[in-house]
Amino acid sequence: MKRSYSLTLFFLFLIWFLGIFIEWFIKIDEQLVFALPFLQKTYSLVCHQEKNKLLLFGGIETLTCARCTGIYLGLLLSSFFVLIKLPRWKLHIKLLLIAAAPMIADVLFASLNIYVYSKLIAFFTGLLLGSTGFFYLYAGLNNLILELKK
Amino acid sequence: MKKYLAAIICGFGAGVLQIVPFVKSFSCCMILPLAAFISLLLDQRATRIFEKIPMKKALIFGLFTGLFAALFGSVFEILITFITKHNDVIASFTDLQRIVQNLPLSEEIKKEILNLFQSVREDILKNGFSLLYTFSVIFNNFIVNSIFGSVGGLIGAQIINSRLNNQSVGK
Repeated sequence: MKRSYSLTLFFLFLIWFLGIFIEWFIKIDEQLVFALPFLQKTYSLVCHQEKNKLLLFGGIETLTCARCTGIYLGLLLSSFFVLIKLPRWKLHIKLLLIAAAPMIADVLFASLNIYVYSKLIAFFTGLLLGSTGFFYLYAGLNNLILELKK
Repeated sequence: MKKYLAAIICGFGAGVLQIVPFVKSFSCCMILPLAAFISLLLDQRATRIFEKIPMKKALIFGLFTGLFAALFGSVFEILITFITKHNDVIASFTDLQRIVQNLPLSEEIKKEILNLFQSVREDILKNGFSLLYTFSVIFNNFIVNSIFGSVGGLIGAQIINSRLNNQSVGK
């Protein structure tokens, strides 16, 4: 994939990720407060936004839960990684399953009250899945571009 | 239309999961990509073609799943709001007030944003309909769902194809 496409992908993930922290940016430009309800609605489509599962820094909450924030950070970090070094390893479904297993286990264990929900565990299990899942998306986009060029 | 039946079914499912009260608490960022993935699997079963899925087809299936999820989701959300005269905006209004009051904003801006939301809230409580809210629902649903659906289609096809043969990235 061309570096310009990878860069575009990185910036798209960056914009999406920064949107989660809109409440921080309102401190910089107060006009952004008008975007807050709209963005809350946007992120509500892809996250349950349960109050007790949102990340909280200095009294300000994220717009997505710890797990989703982890997934999006993982996607962002991996999209940055491909800008530096193109991965050449083989993708196998097992890799995605291994990356998804901790998250699935955490969702199950926390839902069944086997242990108490932890934002930290949710964040890191999401991060693992997001960072791995990106390479499947990247490979998909890469194949799509190759197909379109034919 | 029959060609995209799997996308319609999965889009309907995802749309419902995103909207229906109580059910939507299970909604997360995985719903739409999963719906797109399932639509590809369903299509394979329906057509009985178990070959490698072209990425163009995967993208179109994902996009259609997202668009149908947006269509059903928007219709259900607008209808539920119209019938019950209650929705997220009303439920989260006190939260929004708290957030706005806690933010370091000028009193003028605080008043302006709360007045705007108060008018949307009143419209919904009175008529079950607000133009601004309806526009926000339709715009959000169609943009976000089509993007997440397309992503799900591409990742889903990679997963399905990787079962046929391992692939390398970064060619």
